Amino acid sequence: MRIPSEDSFTSRLRSAAVAARVGLWLGICFLVALATGLISHYAQVDHQPVPLPASPSWFYRVTQGLHVAAGTAAIPLLLIKLWVVFPKLFQPLPRQVREALPTALERGSIAVLVSTSIVQLATGLLNVAQWYPWGFSFRSTHYALAFVAVGALLVHIAVKLPIIRDALKGDVDDTSHDRPNAVRPGSVSRRGVLALAGTSAVAAAVLYAAGTVPGLSRIAALSPRSREHGIPINRTAHSAGVVAEASSAAYRLEVVHGATTRSLTRDDLVAMKQRTHILPIACVEGWSVAGEWGGVRLRDLLDLVGAPPGREVRVRSIQTFSASADTVLPPNFADDDRTLMALVLDGETLSMDHGYPVRLIAPDRPGVMQTKWVSRIEVLG
Amino acid sequence: MRATRGGLILLGTVGMAYGAWLLVSRQDLGQIVEVVLWLAAAVVIHDGILAPMVLGLGWVGGRLLPRAVARGAVTVLVLLGPAALIAIPVLDRFGAKPDNPTLLDRDYTQGLLVFATLCVCAGVAVALGELRSRQPARTNVEEE
Repeated sequence: MRIPSEDSFTSRLRSAAVAARVGLWLGICFLVALATGLISHYAQVDHQPVPLPASPSWFYRVTQGLHVAAGTAAIPLLLIKLWVVFPKLFQPLPRQVREALPTALERGSIAVLVSTSIVQLATGLLNVAQWYPWGFSFRSTHYALAFVAVGALLVHIAVKLPIIRDALKGDVDDTSHDRPNAVRPGSVSRRGVLALAGTSAVAAAVLYAAGTVPGLSRIAALSPRSREHGIPINRTAHSAGVVAEASSAAYRLEVVHGATTRSLTRDDLVAMKQRTHILPIACVEGWSVAGEWGGVRLRDLLDLVGAPPGREVRVRSIQTFSASADTVLPPNFADDDRTLMALVLDGETLSMDHGYPVRLIAPDRPGVMQTKWVSRIEVLG
Repeated sequence: MRATRGGLILLGTVGMAYGAWLLVSRQDLGQIVEVVLWLAAAVVIHDGILAPMVLGLGWVGGRLLPRAVARGAVTVLVLLGPAALIAIPVLDRFGAKPDNPTLLDRDYTQGLLVFATLCVCAGVAVALGELRSRQPARTNVEEE
């Protein structure tokens, strides 16, 4: 079989006018995913230099929903973008070294952009479905490759900037940047391709990423999560290995401030003033569901051991391994009225998988940091 | 414009270098090699398998199918193709855990079939629309 050349591709849909428009949408998706991804990584840093605000309580859930929606929408857009520019793969390199070198560098940056983009979208997609057919760390790799992908994207935009500006200013049917033989009409028009690309992107995002969005959850047919079981669960009590200790009569919640320690049973907590707040559990995987939480205000427990306001507070779980074993609440979260040591969810005693005997629920925090099966609350110095 | 482009190239290069440093400094060698394999596989799978398959479909469809049908077929392909790829991780429930009923808790095969049916309906509608719009103005088509 003959290897095709750039001129083997004659469809007029493979045009800068189409590539620039699909590319613009793709760029917006990448920008949204980058910004929301950075917010999530920062939100998971203990001892943040500038603590994130505790209000509005829906901020984190919206950013992470957008992150997964933008990433999923980018999958059809990337496939269509690559289809439009596919002939470039067969462009010959210039013969002279002076011209060949910048061309080779630019081609190299495109290779980096394409491969990191595909891997970012694929690993993100699989993470949402909790399927990890690899040995590397998803978190570290997804974070590192985000900088490589967006870096390569910026170089790509810089190289193409004059054509992008021209193409976006002109009509979608403009042919001034097209290859001379790319004139064969496709079976759909250029506007048709754009309409299909946009529809496909929105459909993908709704199908896969809207599983817990009220009103959309039923039609989100490919979402790994739903609202069927109330608030979804990531780590069960069984898989965290906490069942015996969490259900033991010997369970105590220790509240520690310097030399002062109070040891409380669950009944002691139930006897304290109970408060109720509606707060979401929001996951980096993009899903979030709000629940009505009842329990003791964290500030009331801190008052028991004489902790002054404005302190960081470490919350430790019975479970000892994994990232969710302990978390540090910045002062603005520890002192917030809505931050509870929850005993009740939606009118029922907290289930074992939701963190019985007691769990942390604070406004606007990543779900992984809403510590379950809490055993110790420690005021930091 | 020149300054903008220069700035973007500089910023992009710094971003790539920072990301590469993050990648190699936080995991062991075996993990880094696996990431590199995934990066290479991504290009091979797209450029070597997926793209040629779509090109083949386009080539065959463009020659065998009447224009209106081809239009409908493109509609189905662009809407259903990406959704089918996205469905791969959930269709076989690779990440399912026996003790967690809140994960992968839908009938994904049925969901994908319903979506596929909707895509085919959209394709048929597009093809019919094309046929109807061509009939009164048949002579004009030859000029395009």
